Amino acid sequence: MIHVRLEPEAKDIELHRIKTVLGLLNRLELRPTMALVVRDGCLLTPDRRLYNNDHVLVRTVTSAG
Amino acid sequence: MKCKRCKAQAVVALPSHNTAFCEECFYLFFTRQVETAIRRQKMFGPDDRILVALSGGKDSLTLMLELALQGYDVTGLHIDLGIGESSIQARAKVEAFCRKHSLNLRVLETASVGLAMPDVKKYIKRPVCSVCGKVKRYYFNKVAREEGFDVLATGHNLDDEAARLFANTLRWDAAYLSDQGPSLPAAEGFVRKVKPLYRLTEFETANYAFLKGIEIHSAPCPYSQGASFTNHKQLLGELEHRSPGSKFAFYDGFLRNGRPAFQLLEEEQGDELAPCRECGSPTSTELCGVCRVRMALSEKKREAGELA
Ligand code: SF4
Ligand SMILES: [Zn+2]
Ligand SMILES: [Zn+2]
Repeated sequence: MIHVRLEPEAKDIELHRIKTVLGLLNRLELRPTMALVVRDGCLLTPDRRLYNNDHVLVRTVTSAG
Repeated sequence: MKCKRCKAQAVVALPSHNTAFCEECFYLFFTRQVETAIRRQKMFGPDDRILVALSGGKDSLTLMLELALQGYDVTGLHIDLGIGESSIQARAKVEAFCRKHSLNLRVLETASVGLAMPDVKKYIKRPVCSVCGKVKRYYFNKVAREEGFDVLATGHNLDDEAARLFANTLRWDAAYLSDQGPSLPAAEGFVRKVKPLYRLTEFETANYAFLKGIEIHSAPCPYSQGASFTNHKQLLGELEHRSPGSKFAFYDGFLRNGRPAFQLLEEEQGDELAPCRECGSPTSTELCGVCRVRMALSEKKREAGELA
């Protein structure tokens, strides 16, 4: 299971059976250039592996207003 | 994924450019894109004084920081719209950012010139966002001209520009198509306007802002009807995903092949501009839009007993 913080919604969710950043983005129905994915303050490219109990931040990039 | 340049672990993958970069090499890529934009579109030189419109969003702060790092003479201008907590937060972010990086900042409160946005919303029948946009453009131009800046720079990125072009094209709006572009020359009453981030996507500016630790203003304006052109941005994003590079090709092709034709058309058919009788800003009517709103507002407030 991984813990996901969604921004700018400020929502926390948990997801199961996710192995890579690309898999995470697909599950969230986001294209790779629609969001930043961050773990421990570091940006992750879509090919990076995710591990059980990872905490990741997903920040969509389209600016409001 | 490895950095294309130095083979270190990549932190940003850019399918449009078929590449990926580590942090240091990404900055290099970003800087080169901005340099190319400035050079190709003849935006400004090292001796020009540049006024940068700072909303507090990631694009405007990114632009300000990058131009300062490249050694340009930049001053920020933040327009405080007086919209409750949202404006207070935006202004605080801009002020903290400029303090942190020792950058010059001006702040203009629209309430001090009789144009607080909550009053506009309350008393003026037109959509508040269209008045707000007009007021912001007016004061960016006015401050730039009155204080002797050579050029006004805004943080519009490729997604903003391509989405706006897409919308204008769907309507075949010849007037807008004739003067949309990353570099608009100075004209009678108008300062030169440039968009040095037009070659960079929203994703790229978001990565830059994140890596540089830029704290962005994210509390949405309470009057917002949702992000402008969001649907168009999503459609273009989908096109870009299936066919990387098409977004830039669409916009760049317009600049090369489409815009010149619309400019010729507009020269024949466009409205004549003359100075506004109140403030001297160029307008196609006797009194410019901003002066009209300001007068209507003070009249309505007087009727409502809010003004002495
Ligand atoms: S959402 Fe509308 S009123 Fe609010 S800042 Fe943007 S343009 Fe102005
Ligand atoms: Zn590198
Ligand atoms: Zn006027």
